[in-house]
Amino acid sequence: MSRLTRPVILLAAAVLAAGACGSAATQSPTSTVTSASGGPATATATATAAAVATPAAATPEASVDTTPVTLTVWDYYGKDTTPFTPDAIAAFQKEYPWITVDRQDLDWDTFIQKFNTAVASGQGPDVATLDMTWIPTLASNDVLADMKTLGGGLMNGKAIADQYAAGPLEAMTYGDKYVTAMSDFDAYVLYYRADLLEAAGVAVPKTWDELRAAAKAIAKDTNGDGKADKYRYAVRPNTFHFSQFLFQNGGSLLSPDNTKAAFNGPEGVSALEFNQSLVADGSGLYWSDADGDLPPAIADERVAMFSDGPYYMGLLKSGVPDQAGKWRVAIAPYSKQPGSYLGGTGLSIPASSTHQAAAWKFIEFFLRPEQQALVYTVAGAMPATTAALQGPDLTKPDPYFGGQIPSADFLETLKTSTHFPYVSAWSDIDTAIGENLDAALVGKATAQKALDDAAAAADAALAK
Amino acid sequence: MARTVAKRFRAGVPGYVLVAPAVLVTVVFLVIPMIQTGYWSLTVYNGVKAPQFVGLQNYIDLLTDPRFLRIIQNTVFFVVMGMAIGPVLGLASAVLLNQSVRLRALFRTTFFLPTMVSLVAVATVWKMLYQDQGMINQVLAAFGLSGTDWLNDPTTALPAVVVTSIWQGFGFETVVFLAALQSIPREFYDAARVDGAGAWAQFRHVTLPGLRYTIVFIYVVGIIGSFQVFDQVFVMTQGRPGISTRTMVYELVEQFQNLRLGTASAIAYILLIILAVMSYIQIRLGEGD
Repeated sequence: MSRLTRPVILLAAAVLAAGACGSAATQSPTSTVTSASGGPATATATATAAAVATPAAATPEASVDTTPVTLTVWDYYGKDTTPFTPDAIAAFQKEYPWITVDRQDLDWDTFIQKFNTAVASGQGPDVATLDMTWIPTLASNDVLADMKTLGGGLMNGKAIADQYAAGPLEAMTYGDKYVTAMSDFDAYVLYYRADLLEAAGVAVPKTWDELRAAAKAIAKDTNGDGKADKYRYAVRPNTFHFSQFLFQNGGSLLSPDNTKAAFNGPEGVSALEFNQSLVADGSGLYWSDADGDLPPAIADERVAMFSDGPYYMGLLKSGVPDQAGKWRVAIAPYSKQPGSYLGGTGLSIPASSTHQAAAWKFIEFFLRPEQQALVYTVAGAMPATTAALQGPDLTKPDPYFGGQIPSADFLETLKTSTHFPYVSAWSDIDTAIGENLDAALVGKATAQKALDDAAAAADAALAK
Repeated sequence: MARTVAKRFRAGVPGYVLVAPAVLVTVVFLVIPMIQTGYWSLTVYNGVKAPQFVGLQNYIDLLTDPRFLRIIQNTVFFVVMGMAIGPVLGLASAVLLNQSVRLRALFRTTFFLPTMVSLVAVATVWKMLYQDQGMINQVLAAFGLSGTDWLNDPTTALPAVVVTSIWQGFGFETVVFLAALQSIPREFYDAARVDGAGAWAQFRHVTLPGLRYTIVFIYVVGIIGSFQVFDQVFVMTQGRPGISTRTMVYELVEQFQNLRLGTASAIAYILLIILAVMSYIQIRLGEGD
């Protein structure tokens, strides 16, 4: 090997190692620019056009800057399921003719990485759809603009505080700021196959004990190996699902002052032991996040019950249409009290945006009840504003769920839901919990040991 | 003296002009980012607030964290297993294909095919094979054996990812070894046979020395690639269960996602140092007689 080759190879090693840092953030998002005249450049979703308010152009207030701006909106809802439909954007642009919207599609999976890269380089969007679980990290790093300041505490002329229930409002707040405005919410209910429960003569479970009994009653061993392989309850080893059981058992994730882990207390241990028991007796199917969403396991009937949020209504309808009429939702069974994690999607304005006033107009517009209805009718999620939750679209019987009105149970669950703590170490805590839940649920550690290990990691992260 | 230097420079101008674009690209896209990453690794930096210099604290925190040491251990396991099996399989299949066997072109294409398929696609398919009720367990069951939930069992998840990577990569090694084998002069084998060398002696004293630089190439490239394993882990396990399949680059990406650019940069430099040392050792070994 020549003396020239050696440094070349070492340099190649350096390139490959350092290159690992940024390669995933180089893809361009798909862009859909809607012209100021209102004509969509690209057809996207089939909008519920009638639901979109199309008022005449607003007469700008004296203080409003009407210099033409192009607003970049990063949207992870999906091209065909975004509530920012071409019709709705056209209506927005008709009302605010000096604002042109450049809506860009990004995948949820890679969104936060691209967002962080863009924000770090000062090239971020003006409006971004953000998963509420990302908010603690972003807010604690001062990445997000304060909407309280932008709107003077008002949204569409009314106090922001009056337009949300207590849970969402708290989730939107960091310190004394509103760092995001919730567009849809995520809280977990029980999804179950009504036909199977009925055939087994089992009532809809309301408590953990009833859930265990129902899971056992409907689980089947179809291949004769002595283990249930069909119609099982999906046990998910992640903080979202664990925290639901924890909250239902009267526990909390952190101490009241957010300085110490609290999830390894007796409430957390027995919550995890309950999940372990479901896996151990075969009525529960361990389904990790790496296994992906549940519809494949629902389609082949490995799963007949699970807890999850409103977006699963859409996943069921699109992923398992042949099971229409068989599914229902109910308040998730609990031990001591109802409870769920609270998440969803927030509309945020990066602090680096140079068009914050226009961005706030966009957010206000899309949080009006008419546009919020699109969150349900087009995106298949639950709108977060109180007015939208009382709208006619959400109170209609749903044929997929046998004529049930699923929103009722979600709304009830929303009242008892709690968002994840807003601490800068949250991502480390979340990771530590998830990793140690695995150990407990695959039988490699006791519930106490797994949660103690996670708590030690969480405490170390909080102490930094 | 000055005139000589000026004359030399003028004579070299066309050359400087020709290399200027490459130098510019290298400086802008390689040297500057590396220097910047090196600086960030000495700071607490979230990409928004100004970096706060903390010296070697990020490195100390990482290298004293049992979790990160386990992540290094996982990565080393992946590299050692992959490099112990993959190139050997590649060499063995290349030696076999170097004989006059029927359908050699078909075998060669078949072996190389997985290399041309996207690693994400390969990982997705293997993930389905490994499922509790996947094909692997169904085949085992047909023979009366019971499988496991390969990717959800901490003891089998990482080896399962390694197997996928070997399957995907050994076709490349086969083709490279095959090309190298065909460049070894036949006379060397004839001479060895005249000297009474059997098949093993020919392999040991003719084939292996003839492949020395190819072996160094395969191992340098393979080890660099293996240390940077990410795609398979992301698709198949997301580093789970527990941290049993979490690798250094996976951790780096996650730290970056969590806006810990200082820690992510420190991981990148730890990886760089490991790779530089490994590459240096391999090259020195390749130089020895």
